[in-house]
Amino acid sequence: MNVIFTTILVLSAIVMLITSPADFLPATLDGGMNAAKTCLTLFCIYVVWMGLSAVAEDARITQKCAKFLSKPCGKLFKTKNPTAIENLTMNISCNLLGIGGAATPYGVKAIEALEKDGNEFAQNLLFIINATSIQLIPTTVIALRASAGSIAPHDIAVPSLIATAVSTVLGAALYVLIKNFKPKAAARRRKCST
Amino acid sequence: MQYVIPAIFVLVILIAAVKRVNVFSSFSRGAGEAVKFVFGLLPLLACTFIMCELFERSHLSDALSRLLAPAFSLLGVPSELSKLILIKPFSGSGSLAYLTQIIGEYGADSYISRCACVLYGSSETVFYISVVYFGKCKNKRRLLPIVIILFATFISTIVACLLCRIM
Repeated sequence: MNVIFTTILVLSAIVMLITSPADFLPATLDGGMNAAKTCLTLFCIYVVWMGLSAVAEDARITQKCAKFLSKPCGKLFKTKNPTAIENLTMNISCNLLGIGGAATPYGVKAIEALEKDGNEFAQNLLFIINATSIQLIPTTVIALRASAGSIAPHDIAVPSLIATAVSTVLGAALYVLIKNFKPKAAARRRKCST
Repeated sequence: MQYVIPAIFVLVILIAAVKRVNVFSSFSRGAGEAVKFVFGLLPLLACTFIMCELFERSHLSDALSRLLAPAFSLLGVPSELSKLILIKPFSGSGSLAYLTQIIGEYGADSYISRCACVLYGSSETVFYISVVYFGKCKNKRRLLPIVIILFATFISTIVACLLCRIM
């Protein structure tokens, strides 16, 4: 993130220095404003979902739901940490249900639990699954198309679903493959050099 | 679909009430966690959004998209969409504004705007999500997963454009 941040910042600043120096400060201030606005929006979403998830946790609903998916999830993510598995499974279930707002707090909790184990593999895999997330119904886009006078605003739903599924499966598979391949390749290299 | 969320709320709160959980104090405990979580994110979000804003306002994104347009059209992606593809990982609101513009310009049922809609619906704002997920982690060097995500999203973009042509 540091590399990306620095590169983009420096490049944009240089370009703006030449083309529109007066616009530089307003642009950065707008960025800050966007952050504050997003933060408030996020707060509204998370206050509701984290509140509800705390109720579900205290009623032991979360733990029961997690049982169904816990075995395959534990295997896929290579973790035995029960808190992490519980949050992982809830994150994935919420994603599948299409409640992104509820999925994120569980995801972050899972990442924190995994941080204690130092399990970077699972953290990255979870991140990849969420950042290519499967969205069952793209509501915003359908609403936008309907308001623009489309005859069949829903006809993009199926291609969207296929496209998100492709990106999620491809991303996760690539990461698992690379991670499984790297140690082997490194070991081979070590063997050759000795 | 609109029934799912209220149904979940009713179900969870009823079960909790039956089990004699103090719903009010549990809910407020969760809400308290949300406060800590969101305001811990604010400085990281500020950095990300300043970066995104500069990237767009400096017209660096325009230049890059013009540069990449021929490569995109070679892969079957209409060159009109190259800017949307570039902006989407950076900014949700920016790409939504651009999507609206595309729909207005080409008509809601044209091939280009259908492609654009599928693109928008099937990709995520990667940099923002990485901040939310890895904000509290010690190791912030996560180049490999970001690269993989951008690659996977790009492949799904090509698939999306193909699908729009068939379906």
